[in-house]
Amino acid sequence: MSSLTSAVRDLQRELENKTNDLSKLQKDIAKNHQVRKKYTVQLGENELVLKELDLLNEDANVYKLIGPVLVKQDLAEANSNVRKRIEYISAELKRLDATVQDLEEKQNSKKDAILKLQQKIQSIQTTKGKA
Amino acid sequence: MEDTRRGTVTSLASLFPVEEAQKAANRVQDAIAEKRAELDHLLRFVADNNNLINLVHKLPEELSHEIMVPFGKAAFFPGRLIHTNEFLVLLGEGYYAERTSKQTAEILGRRGKALDSQVDSLEAMIKDLQAEANFFSQTITEAAEGLVEIREDYIEKDSHKEEIKSGPLKQHTSDLEKTEADNEEYARIVARMDELEKEELAAESGIDNEKDEQTTEDVGDISYQRPVGSKPHNSEDFHKSTPPVDQANNKSIATGSAEKHDNPDIADQLNFASLDLQSNVGEGKNAAAKKVKFVDHRKPLTHHEEKTVKATTASKSEVQHQPSQPSFNSHKAFTGSIVEHTENLKTLNGQSSSSTSSQVSGSRPSKPVSRFKMQRR
Repeated sequence: MSSLTSAVRDLQRELENKTNDLSKLQKDIAKNHQVRKKYTVQLGENELVLKELDLLNEDANVYKLIGPVLVKQDLAEANSNVRKRIEYISAELKRLDATVQDLEEKQNSKKDAILKLQQKIQSIQTTKGKA
Repeated sequence: MEDTRRGTVTSLASLFPVEEAQKAANRVQDAIAEKRAELDHLLRFVADNNNLINLVHKLPEELSHEIMVPFGKAAFFPGRLIHTNEFLVLLGEGYYAERTSKQTAEILGRRGKALDSQVDSLEAMIKDLQAEANFFSQTITEAAEGLVEIREDYIEKDSHKEEIKSGPLKQHTSDLEKTEADNEEYARIVARMDELEKEELAAESGIDNEKDEQTTEDVGDISYQRPVGSKPHNSEDFHKSTPPVDQANNKSIATGSAEKHDNPDIADQLNFASLDLQSNVGEGKNAAAKKVKFVDHRKPLTHHEEKTVKATTASKSEVQHQPSQPSFNSHKAFTGSIVEHTENLKTLNGQSSSSTSSQVSGSRPSKPVSRFKMQRR
């Protein structure tokens, strides 16, 4: 009997741990989603900028806001900068996607493990009740 | 009608538990609120953008504008706005471009279009969410009312057609078989009527030729009266009717009256119906008419029972002529005077099924005849 109760207690502790891990995982996934959203917005903006820059004449003045300073920039330079930024952002997004996938898989496996644990605990409790 | 089909009955409440449906509905409502807020945001952007475009158009109209320049938080000083055609437009991501007002307007226009497309997509999302919310609220109310979902296997049968046929008939008659048998019986009845008429004429020719004829005619007329609306006919009118007319009338009546029957007590119905009819008819105090009634009273034949489905009048006339030697006897016996008791009739009428009596009693029975009197004889 006591062995049973101790077994139940062990299982319950395990269950707690697993649920903690699961909640952590879920938080990570949520953060990931947020960052992804931000990057997506930035990507969109950069693409708009690129479009406008393309529409500009060669001799137009382009300035970049760095802190409180507006710095004159070369059109070509601005173009290349924006393009690089776009590439960087897309790469980041891809990375984030992979992480999210990974996290989600881990989350699912954790859920399964928790379910199994719960079932075990239930079965033990029922046998305890019978006995 | 249909074979009992195996089906499953599931209460909606079990499929969509009310509380959970409520929670889901709340969630959807929250999502809708969020989207609405975003939509407001975007719409404000669109408004600002439009204002800006107007300003950009207006500024280059003058070389320089006299304005009050804000100085700090709470001060202004007068100044001038120059270089009215030069704009530093924010392209995004900290990049500015020097542009003329026209070019600026173009940029702003493009930005406005992008905003509009965003607004449209948001609105579409809100619509979907609202549809979802409606569905949830509906299921909540349905589940609360205890609606039940019934599923049955679809069995393709020809019997479906039969059911359709019998369906409408059912409405009219409580006994499906009657309707089918009616046609046969009707033919039989008609044939019998002919025979009876002949016999009557022959038998009663000595006693009261005219009356006999009247009765036969009356029978037809009586039955005929129903569709006409139970007008009281004089005996003279009856003369005009001819046996073939009777048959026609009976037929029409039969078809017409097929609708009426609920016959708890067919015999009574027959009697009462005939009584009513005849009372309608019998303003003229037709002995013949009354005779007819009597005959009816006498004869709750099995035939008649089945025929009541068709037409009380038709059956009445048939009853009269029916295979009733006893009826013949009663005919002969009744050529005498007849005492009428209105009260009896009324009570009787009330007892019989309303369908027959109601039709028959369309016109007030002027001369109700006592059934009992006749039976005595």
